[in-house]
Amino acid sequence: MSSSPTDVGGALVDVTMPQMGVSVAEGTIVAWRVAVGDTVTAEQTVCEISTDKIDTEVPAPASGIVAEILVDVEQTVEVGVVLARIDTGVGGSGAPAAPPAPDVAAGPTAAESSAGPSGSSASPPARSSAGPSDSSTPPPAPRAHNGAGRRYSPVVQRIAAEHGIDLESVPGTGRDGRVRKQDVLAVVNGNGSHAAPEAADPPLHIESPYRPDPVEPAAARPAGTGGAAAGAAIPAAVTSSGEGLSRMRRQIGEHMKRSLDTAATCTTWIEVDMSRVEAARKRLGVTALAFVARACVAALREHPALNAWLEGEKYTRVNEVNLGIAVSLGDDGLIVPVIHGAHELSEEGLAARIRDVAQRARSRQLTADEVRGGTFTITNPGQFGSIMATPIINQPQIGILDFEAVVKRPVVLTDAEGNDSIAIRPMTILGLSWDHRALDGALSAQFLAAVKRNLEGVGS
Amino acid sequence: MATMTYLQAISSALRDELRADERVLVMGEDIGVFGGAFKVTDGFIDEFGSDRVMDTPLAESAIIGCAVGAAVVGLRPVCEMQFADFISCGFDQLVNVAGKMHYRQGLAVPITVRLPSGGGFSGGPFHSQNPEALFMHSPGIKVVAPSTAQDAKGLLHAAIHDPNPVCFMEHKHLYRRVKGDVPDGVYETPFTARVARPGSDLVVICYGAMVDVALSATEDLDGASIEVLDLRSLVPLDEEAILDAVARCSKVVVVDEANLTCAAGAQVAALIAEKGFEDLDGPVVRVASPDVPIPFSPPLEAAVLPGVDRVKEACRELLAY
Amino acid sequence: MATDIATPTPEQVGEHQHLQLADRIWLHRAMLLMRGIEERAMSLYRQGKVPGSFYDGFGQEAVSAGAAFAMSPEDRLCILHRDLAAHIIRGVTPTRILSQYMGRAGGVTAGRDGNVHFGDRQLGCVGMVSMLPDMMLVATGMAMAFKLRGEARCALTWFGDGSTSRGDFHEAMNWAGVQKLPVVFVLENNQYAYSTPLDKQFAVDPVERAAAYGFAGVTVDGNDVEAMFDAAREARERAVSGGGPTLIEAVTMRMHGHAAHDDMKYVPREQVEEWKLRDPIDRQEKRLRGLGVDVGALRAEVTAEIDAAAAEALAGPMPSPESALDGVFCAGESEPLGDGQAPWSGFSRPRGDR
Repeated sequence: MSSSPTDVGGALVDVTMPQMGVSVAEGTIVAWRVAVGDTVTAEQTVCEISTDKIDTEVPAPASGIVAEILVDVEQTVEVGVVLARIDTGVGGSGAPAAPPAPDVAAGPTAAESSAGPSGSSASPPARSSAGPSDSSTPPPAPRAHNGAGRRYSPVVQRIAAEHGIDLESVPGTGRDGRVRKQDVLAVVNGNGSHAAPEAADPPLHIESPYRPDPVEPAAARPAGTGGAAAGAAIPAAVTSSGEGLSRMRRQIGEHMKRSLDTAATCTTWIEVDMSRVEAARKRLGVTALAFVARACVAALREHPALNAWLEGEKYTRVNEVNLGIAVSLGDDGLIVPVIHGAHELSEEGLAARIRDVAQRARSRQLTADEVRGGTFTITNPGQFGSIMATPIINQPQIGILDFEAVVKRPVVLTDAEGNDSIAIRPMTILGLSWDHRALDGALSAQFLAAVKRNLEGVGS
Repeated sequence: MATMTYLQAISSALRDELRADERVLVMGEDIGVFGGAFKVTDGFIDEFGSDRVMDTPLAESAIIGCAVGAAVVGLRPVCEMQFADFISCGFDQLVNVAGKMHYRQGLAVPITVRLPSGGGFSGGPFHSQNPEALFMHSPGIKVVAPSTAQDAKGLLHAAIHDPNPVCFMEHKHLYRRVKGDVPDGVYETPFTARVARPGSDLVVICYGAMVDVALSATEDLDGASIEVLDLRSLVPLDEEAILDAVARCSKVVVVDEANLTCAAGAQVAALIAEKGFEDLDGPVVRVASPDVPIPFSPPLEAAVLPGVDRVKEACRELLAY
Repeated sequence: MATDIATPTPEQVGEHQHLQLADRIWLHRAMLLMRGIEERAMSLYRQGKVPGSFYDGFGQEAVSAGAAFAMSPEDRLCILHRDLAAHIIRGVTPTRILSQYMGRAGGVTAGRDGNVHFGDRQLGCVGMVSMLPDMMLVATGMAMAFKLRGEARCALTWFGDGSTSRGDFHEAMNWAGVQKLPVVFVLENNQYAYSTPLDKQFAVDPVERAAAYGFAGVTVDGNDVEAMFDAAREARERAVSGGGPTLIEAVTMRMHGHAAHDDMKYVPREQVEEWKLRDPIDRQEKRLRGLGVDVGALRAEVTAEIDAAAAEALAGPMPSPESALDGVFCAGESEPLGDGQAPWSGFSRPRGDR
């Protein structure tokens, strides 16, 4: 049998300002009847207090020695403030001085299971992870429809009707890609995709299925304080466990599904010899991805038809290349930060930017602007050895390049004289998913050929 | 202008009325010599005498019924229920006699019933209730619920001047916790809503003690611009102010400390569904006490009463919608 | 028990100390009007002209007539549903009463409430509610105001034997006793609360409870209008002179069912036969005949008045549906109760000479 009670407590018991009546918030010490070092027995008066409603005496909650007196005579303190501490430690005379334990988990849990009434939004939110999972997401919000036939709130429909806006083409920033009032207002105010193409502000798009709240100046936000920063970028739902999908997962799913329902997606592959890239990247100390990005940007400048958006029947070619790079957030999902003005960057410049946005994506510090406005996306899941994929286009872009693993293969080489030989070369397969609504197979093949040419010509 | 607690503001209104209008008298249990369970009428008996600061028998039905009788022959009684919970014992007189009097026979009943309401201090099932919705459902009774010291005084003056029965819901938890600048002398606060803090992304509609909760919960909520609308009056309900806030914000969280079903907020939500539908950008979300009696033990009570965290959570969810 | 009252006073034809001949005719006339109006209303009810339910006070006319007759214009009354004579004495016309029964615009409540659920505020009366005896507390409150202001006025209310079982009876009796208020409580003991007889309502005659609350309780022959007047006059004198409340138990019999739909089969036939012999109108008529009054002419006059009133009420419009939403709240200044009529000659004589 272990002697736990005395070991644990440290045996200091608080004397607190009592609540003398339901509306009393504070009390004043009138006199102390004991001094530090005095021995007191439980129930013995330790001080006199005065409150709005009554003057009274405060009894000792336990026997022991007065260890501290914390509030002076004439001082007024709030109900619950510690007035003194009694050391019950030595000998533990009589009363084992159970510390006034701040509520234990058993209480609320019991309350929930016994009360557990409506199961509706009325039930008190269960803070413990043991609680029913649905109570942490109170509003039983109607789910938006997938794909075609999205549902719109009354105010969104009204504003759209007033301004003749086709809601199907308005990107939604709400839950599950829902079109919110601010989304349709952005279109009305000329900030949205329906604005004249020459408008100064870059069009608002969702390259990422998930995005931080677009309103606040995110740069000024300190990281990790009270979850506030994460609250904007990655709200609580992401961390919630239980049977349901996280909010980010739901959004990614919704976004991907919508893309497949929207685009006429085809995928074309090309094989690339990465020998020169491998040599150059070792020299420069950058990743192969930076070279692929650079080659891709150059190919886009050559075939600007792929650096574009297609929204409904509206096809917009973009001069600048704003390159999206998909970044995995592990179990949480992925996010696609955008490197604006990628066509102006060297391999090293691109490598630095990719490193930077990837890091900040993983620490949830991207700003709103850094995840929108992309014109083309590269995805690079190849580090685990996979060699081919059929990526899904990031709407409303029209192409996405998939870069997988670089693996050594025997390849047939033909020299200038037309002689064939077999050699071992680091090879990769680039996959381009493209929207057949916007272009045809020939152009996509030409684009891929350009990427290949650029990569195989690195350093030449 | 003087700084007063919510409770002092109520006392001040009563004192001013007793001084200004000889028709006014206050009546209730233990309000005279003892000064009231919450000391609202402390010292009144010395200034105004035991006729006008009347210690009554322990009889809530009689307090309301006798006030009705005194009112129809020209007095302006202000009744104190020691706790709002006890209005159940005077319900019949208030609802059937006072509430229906003017409609049936054109006879005005200028009485004010002060109802110390609300929980948050381990009052238990019989000292923590918010019974205001019962009277919203009973024609002929006005219901007001101040959240600030200034409104506590102004609404009480207006209630006493009103020619109808008025339930004055004074929240016990605010008595000594809320302080504020209160204008001098007699002034009336209109029975309309007040924008406690303007905003544009979402509006929290509430009253009484929930106004402070809503303000704290949304003071800095992820940078969102959140309006808090303090209803102040439940009957009449300021439909214009509610619908105006909905039109501007399009997302609504309605907070009641009372039990959820058929609480005041249910009427607000119904009003918005009916007349504010075209302005909505998400479901009307309600936060209220679940339909259980208000329990005594602190962790149980905290699990039931709406607090800052629950309001925050509801706002966050709706903002993201 | 309460039914064992003394045999009704012999139909004395001598002088009455407080009632002149005109007063005694007035009392009779009020009872005749009450019975005549209620009989006409019952007939209209059977014709489908009176909606809802119909209640009357057949056989109890003396209780309201006698008590109301003792009240001054400044006194205030809360009148029960079997006390139509009190309304008549205060000045409500037969046309308005019949219009009220028929839910017409010209009724006292303009159709908002039915049957005897009314009070003419301009005549100092507060209409009853169905929750009995809620009006005991309202009367107590009015009396409280009179006392606080030092006014020589009283409040009077009627309630039934069933009402004595409810809490408001206790709260009102206790409050009135504690504050020694000028209020007159008339317990109208008509033997049945709907179908429930007295022995299932209380173990002790409620009049005996008055002493426990600290004031006087008297039992009166509720079928003798002049005895009722005497008891109420004395109670009023006590009230306005600071002597506190009085509980008057008026012993009578409800000679019809609780309402028009009630065949009263739970009442023994012999009990009805016995009480028929004590009919208050017959007794007062006998008195007046002895005093040389042409009672036949009086009856004919009353019948003609009711005929005219019924014709006028039937010609009156129903309330407009839009008016249903008006007046839930008082929008202007509140206006307290007005003064009623008080036909008793005593009020025109110096107080000591009444």
